[in-house]
Amino acid sequence: MIRYLGRRAAHGLLILFGVSILLFLLFQAAPGDFLSEAKLNSQISPETMAYLRAQYGLDQSLPVRYWQWAKSSVRGDFGYSFAYNVPAASLLWPRARNTLLLSVPALIISWLIAVPLGVLVAGWKGKWADRIFSGGTSALLALPDVLIALLALLIALKTGMFPVGGMTSVNSQNQGWWAGLRDLGWHMALPVAALVVGSLAIILRHVRNSLGEVLESSYMRAAEGHGLPRFKLLFRYALPAAANPLISLFGLSVAVLLSVSLLIEVVMSWPGIGPLLLEAILARDLFLVIGAVMLSTVFLIAGNLLGDVLLYAFDPRIRRQT
Amino acid sequence: MTSGDLGLSKPEPLLRASALSVDYDAAGGDVVRALRNLDLEIADGESVGVLGESGSGKSSLALALLRLLPRNARVVSGRIEYRGRSLAEFSAEELRQMRGGEVALISQEPALALNPVLPLRRQLADVLLAHHKLDRGAVSSRCHEMLREVGFPDPERIMRAYPHELSGGQRQRVAIAQALICRPRLLIADEPLSALDAATQSEILELLQRLKRDLRLAMLFITHNAGTLAALADNIIVMREGEVAARGSIGKLQSSADEYVQGILFPEKSLAGEPRASGPAADETPLLEVRALSKKFVQQRMLSRRKFVVQSLVGIDLSLRRGSTVAMLGRSGSGKSTLARCLAGFETPDSGEILLQGKPEEAKKAGIRRPVQMIFQDAATSINPRFTARQVIAEPLEIAKWKTDAERTVRALALMEEVGLDPGWALRLAGEFSGGQRQRLALARTLVAEPDLLIMDEALSGLDMPVQAQMVRLLIHLQSRHGLTYLYISHDLNFISLFAQEVIVMEAGRIVERTTPARLAGSTNPATRELVEASERLHAPGVEAAV
Repeated sequence: MIRYLGRRAAHGLLILFGVSILLFLLFQAAPGDFLSEAKLNSQISPETMAYLRAQYGLDQSLPVRYWQWAKSSVRGDFGYSFAYNVPAASLLWPRARNTLLLSVPALIISWLIAVPLGVLVAGWKGKWADRIFSGGTSALLALPDVLIALLALLIALKTGMFPVGGMTSVNSQNQGWWAGLRDLGWHMALPVAALVVGSLAIILRHVRNSLGEVLESSYMRAAEGHGLPRFKLLFRYALPAAANPLISLFGLSVAVLLSVSLLIEVVMSWPGIGPLLLEAILARDLFLVIGAVMLSTVFLIAGNLLGDVLLYAFDPRIRRQT
Repeated sequence: MTSGDLGLSKPEPLLRASALSVDYDAAGGDVVRALRNLDLEIADGESVGVLGESGSGKSSLALALLRLLPRNARVVSGRIEYRGRSLAEFSAEELRQMRGGEVALISQEPALALNPVLPLRRQLADVLLAHHKLDRGAVSSRCHEMLREVGFPDPERIMRAYPHELSGGQRQRVAIAQALICRPRLLIADEPLSALDAATQSEILELLQRLKRDLRLAMLFITHNAGTLAALADNIIVMREGEVAARGSIGKLQSSADEYVQGILFPEKSLAGEPRASGPAADETPLLEVRALSKKFVQQRMLSRRKFVVQSLVGIDLSLRRGSTVAMLGRSGSGKSTLARCLAGFETPDSGEILLQGKPEEAKKAGIRRPVQMIFQDAATSINPRFTARQVIAEPLEIAKWKTDAERTVRALALMEEVGLDPGWALRLAGEFSGGQRQRLALARTLVAEPDLLIMDEALSGLDMPVQAQMVRLLIHLQSRHGLTYLYISHDLNFISLFAQEVIVMEAGRIVERTTPARLAGSTNPATRELVEASERLHAPGVEAAV
């Protein structure tokens, strides 16, 4: 087990390394840099420009810059933000926390809804409820995430029951921790709901399909023939047998949620990685972009690693192979 | 109704089906008739055998009796009564209580009847808990008792295991334990032996006989092998295309004049008039020579650095002459399949030589000819079910870019004809063919490569006896026509005397005996004796061709 996880973690590190190199190369290939706009300003003298370039390290060659960045990453700074003039990490950590604040509850809620619902729907296969369900998930799948976020904003606006964007109310700071927490939850409700709606359909469909296959198998028929109660058949026999592809999907769903989350954060002005990344890309704030993308990659790898651990715990056949 | 219907004095039967008809809705709006007007009665403690080819509706009967038919099946007419009450009146909960509690089912394939991801403890205990309220200790001791009853000396080890950690025979015994743990009155056993090797088959058969006697269990035993029924069934129903073709005791059926009944009871008889295989051409370099072949597998357990070395083949010497048929016998796990896989090039041996026509390794030939071909046990899994018959056969040609598409089709159709398949079926999907037809398809596919040696790894074991007989006839015919050499691997002795000139018995990775079919019965080797005796037990009523 330890060795299996160690190997997986080592793979993760390799991926991170590859992603960082790729990011540097891509940035190099993209036209312009942080100072491109300043260059157009005739009031800044060429000497000042050269000084600034040297200060930001933009005059160095790519391998040197990568090496500098790698050294600062080991120190935990992940480079310097040009725009904010602080280490990128100090900007990223609070934003990452905010993004996790949205995506972790959304992940948990969507799986908590999708698994029981998917199992039940698989049990109804061929009946009218199943058809309604298929139509519903198709519609959900077809709905663009931006639209979901905008709809959520519309609801907030029309009902007035939810805040329109943001993470905290203006005066929440001085009302004690309980009020603060309630305020936070109130602000989280809509973005989390939008995320759940955005990712639910895919998971639901997978649960239903993989359950559907298992329900046709001879061991399920045998178990039914032994007189096991229906609830037990569905949840204690079919679900563990169908869990394998679903657990792999769990890792993937982390990726889906993250990318949807970036978008929803921007639309609903949630101070997560999404708006920061967008801003940094527009400003060509090199290290901030790299840091944000690397952070997303870390989340992704962590999600897949979690999936691997679950797979190991759930399937005795995989335990044997490793 | 049976002839013994004497009205008032007769007690209520345990289970009665009258005029039962079942249809399946097949793809494309076709309706397949699985059962037609079937009448059946099982009294308390009585065993009824159901005999028939695959596709005769046997399995549908088993499922219909428990109302477990798949969604695309419909009971068109007739009624099923359990203790005088129609199953149609049973509520969902009553039906559940009946399944497993009163009427238990052993399904066809033991490998597939157990949930792969749950420990057997749970799978066994849950059946008990579904019908009785018991505390943990009582459940555990009842499970232990049941597992001992089906012949596990160490129940705790089995309870902790997962299905993939057991052999096929062990799994089947667990499935029997599951079925019997609630002490049902009736056991429906659907081909419980067909996937097991002969020695394991006779163990399970003995177990069922003992349980039937000790528990006064009524039984509906479904099989395609008449031999197993002689020992077990009081009454036999022979089924053909969903209808009852004949019924009665085994003695009565044996004297029946019906050709179909005779074909099922004595599949070997149908081969009587066939010319025997001509035998090998003399004094020539052997087609295949194997010298001191060894192969081992290394297994490693979880959380352990200890490695288990499984010596699969030890110093095998073997020589096959062109045009001969060699039968390789042995229990499952004796290394037969590993040897076959080494010969076919799927495994690389650790040491030793394989010489083909005196040369170490056939230099890669141009075109489509491959000198060694292999047919596997289960065509259902070795052929892509979504390919059409033409695609299955022509695929090797396509890979080799052999001639044009039209010429490939002509070749495929000719081969279909040669293996006895209607070329008009060329566009049917492989999955729509029956087991025997799929095996013919597999045979046609191997013939594309114009092989010299055909290795058949249990290629007939999964088929009904009459279908096996037809396949043997076809193989003998093809051998004389193309001068093929056969290596026929099997765990039972069916047809061997009609088919093979030489018999090799394997045990624990070694060849323990080389003999001829005629001398097999007189062998003193313990491994051979075990196979011969198991075979005799299974084919008691004269279904005896092997020895």
